[in-house]
Amino acid sequence: MIDFTKRLLKTPQGAIGIFLVVFVLLVVVFGPLVAPHDPEKLSPLARYKGPSLTYWLGTDQYGRDIFSRLLIGARATVVMAVLATIVGTLIGALIGTASAFLGGRADELIMRTIDAVMSIPSLLFALLVVNLLGSSTVNALVAVAIAFAPGMARITRSVALSVRKQDYVNAAVARGESAGYIIRREMLPNVIAPIIVEMTIRVSFAVMLFATLSFLGLGAQPPAAEWGLMVSEARRYMHLSAGILIWPSVAIAIVAVGFNLLGDGLRDALNPRA
Amino acid sequence: MTTTEHPSPDTPVLTIENYSLDYETTNGPFHALKNIDLAIHRGEILGLVGESGSGKTSLAWSIMRYLPKNAREPGGRILLGSDNLLEKAEREMETFRGRRISMVFQDPSTSLNPTLSLGKQLAEVLVRHRGLSWQQAWTEGEARLAHVGLKTPAQMMHRMPHEASGGEKQRVVIASAFACNPECIIFDEPTTALDVITSRQILDLFVELQAETGVASLYISHDLALVARTAGRVAVIKRGEIVEQGTTREIFTNPQQDYTRELINAVPDPSRRLVNDDVAPTDKPLVEVENVSVHFGRKPFLSALTGRKTERVTGNNAISLSISPGEILGIVGESGSGKSTLAKAMTGLNRFEGKIRFEGREIRNLGDMDNAYRKDVQIIFQHPDASLNPRQKIFEILSRPLKLFGDASDLERQVGDMLEQVRLPRTHANRYPHQLSGGEKQRVAIARAFASKPKLVICDEITSALDVSVQASVVELLLELQKASGTAYLFITHDLNLIRQIAHRIAVMYRGDLIEVVKASEIDSPDRAEYTRRLIEAVPRAAAQYQ
Repeated sequence: MIDFTKRLLKTPQGAIGIFLVVFVLLVVVFGPLVAPHDPEKLSPLARYKGPSLTYWLGTDQYGRDIFSRLLIGARATVVMAVLATIVGTLIGALIGTASAFLGGRADELIMRTIDAVMSIPSLLFALLVVNLLGSSTVNALVAVAIAFAPGMARITRSVALSVRKQDYVNAAVARGESAGYIIRREMLPNVIAPIIVEMTIRVSFAVMLFATLSFLGLGAQPPAAEWGLMVSEARRYMHLSAGILIWPSVAIAIVAVGFNLLGDGLRDALNPRA
Repeated sequence: MTTTEHPSPDTPVLTIENYSLDYETTNGPFHALKNIDLAIHRGEILGLVGESGSGKTSLAWSIMRYLPKNAREPGGRILLGSDNLLEKAEREMETFRGRRISMVFQDPSTSLNPTLSLGKQLAEVLVRHRGLSWQQAWTEGEARLAHVGLKTPAQMMHRMPHEASGGEKQRVVIASAFACNPECIIFDEPTTALDVITSRQILDLFVELQAETGVASLYISHDLALVARTAGRVAVIKRGEIVEQGTTREIFTNPQQDYTRELINAVPDPSRRLVNDDVAPTDKPLVEVENVSVHFGRKPFLSALTGRKTERVTGNNAISLSISPGEILGIVGESGSGKSTLAKAMTGLNRFEGKIRFEGREIRNLGDMDNAYRKDVQIIFQHPDASLNPRQKIFEILSRPLKLFGDASDLERQVGDMLEQVRLPRTHANRYPHQLSGGEKQRVAIARAFASKPKLVICDEITSALDVSVQASVVELLLELQKASGTAYLFITHDLNLIRQIAHRIAVMYRGDLIEVVKASEIDSPDRAEYTRRLIEAVPRAAAQYQ
């Protein structure tokens, strides 16, 4: 484990990724405690302010402190993205492993269905799901999870196919284990490494997908401090103060870049031969 | 034709003096080779024998000056003629390799470039090192191929590697190694990847060419029997150190070191039977395999619709044999002969046609293999690395069959007993497979197979991934377990010497067909089928030569 961390920190991607992700997680956990202002307190006299000592990143169109809103919105944005990715990954991994294990006609049927679902762009697909279920944060989470599952299923299946040929799976089949046991206990633990790498990279997609959904008014609803929603609301006032738009965008970018780099670093660290 | 003059005949062609090699790892330096002293004279074959990880191949790469970046050489000299190779720059070595020193690798299918024709790869050596034009090189190449015993050299020059068999490819590799009449050739397990009969032919070719050209050869192998057939002198290497050196006769008849003695004793000797021939074929066999055929490939969708007949690949062709209770039936054959396919059919891993009768109960397809059948028929695989799930602890691996087939009470105690039965400490239950050695892992796999108290255990090449000394102890364990439990074995292997030691009867397979089933004691009688006789002839028997 120590060896693994060492390898991860050795690559620049891994080191920067870890740094950014840890920073973001700190904000998620402690952000609301250290926020200097109430994120929803309107101050009509202090609208469109630039950065100052009282308002570190300035104020928005209602005079709310942007810095505090970012700190508090981190929970809604990052936690949602991570949750949605985990749910989507779990569904996808199960489908992919099962498909690889069953093989033959069942595999064909599952994978062609997945292909059909994947041919719809994930944003469109998420929009479709949210439209069907109604717009709310939970539904947005479900939408992103479902949109991610097919891609994860594909990746998992390709890894699981090579695991399927291993003798320990053959041994389990030969002693008459149930399909459920073989998929859960014999195969899934051995396909987990590439899935984790893919998952960290997908978190950044999820952040952006959530931001887009909120931006379109289909995710979090005002006055929530979700970052995508903040960008969306700021759009109309950006000619009065660019800061309202720039800071939440930067926050989204940091999360996306952080998880992406962490994913790259993990890929190198988990595969020491490369 | 060599460009360098040969000094007086008593100067060795290749001298290694006090040579050491370290690899830098994250856990500090790893001493791969320690104070190696070797000398090979002109016309001599020096056999280098050691188990896996002993540093044999590292030495070969040091001589070729092709070492990984983390290699350090604390001292010593490697002399080719009078040139110290350690002091040569990479540019100089490039002119040495192929011309003054060359190498033949283990697996011809990976040492040849799959995208170039065999002729091009051979001619390139000649063009580069002997300054021939392409046309001259091509004609010379044809002559070289004829020289190594290829029947149609002109056509062979135009073939791609995948169009030639393993034996033919290795002949081409040998031809290109000998192409520039080098002073020294390193053979790194040149027959390990080949079938028994082919490797015998390659070995004969090697001895012939060697005698003809008088090249100094370093023959690296893990197989003492093979080395005994070729080498005049043998060096035994253990963990990077040469433990003993001497003429082959000395080493075999009067080994000085315990390790050498161990190695020689571990080589299976067919004249030393390890089982009693007290199992008589009974009227009530345990298993009867009747006309079992295995075909691979799915019927294409269209021909299934139109009802057209399709050619399928045949793995087994109507095999019939029987095993009595407590009997050890050996199955031998070359790779691709369908040995493992039969094992997989019998354990429900392959679909099959025909029927298997187990204790009188008929089994026609995978659906008939119920829990009781699976409990009674267990399989052990070749590679213990692959057959134990790397993410499960030994405890979980061993407790699974207990939960499925037996009583799941007091698992801790039962798993501990199982480990002791295969002579492993009880504490190994808390380890992961990668924390065990290859032999220990195979013991765990054996314990798993015996957990359900089976009546038949199928051993699919279970010793071929192990070193000779480990192999001997695993075989000993299997025979002990057999004596205690009376289990019947179906022992699949390509090692004829081993199977002649332990089997009651031997079944010979060739390209999916069962050639014959004979008593082990009668396998070398002249009445055997032609293929069986060829197989027996091809197998080197170390001890027999010197006793």
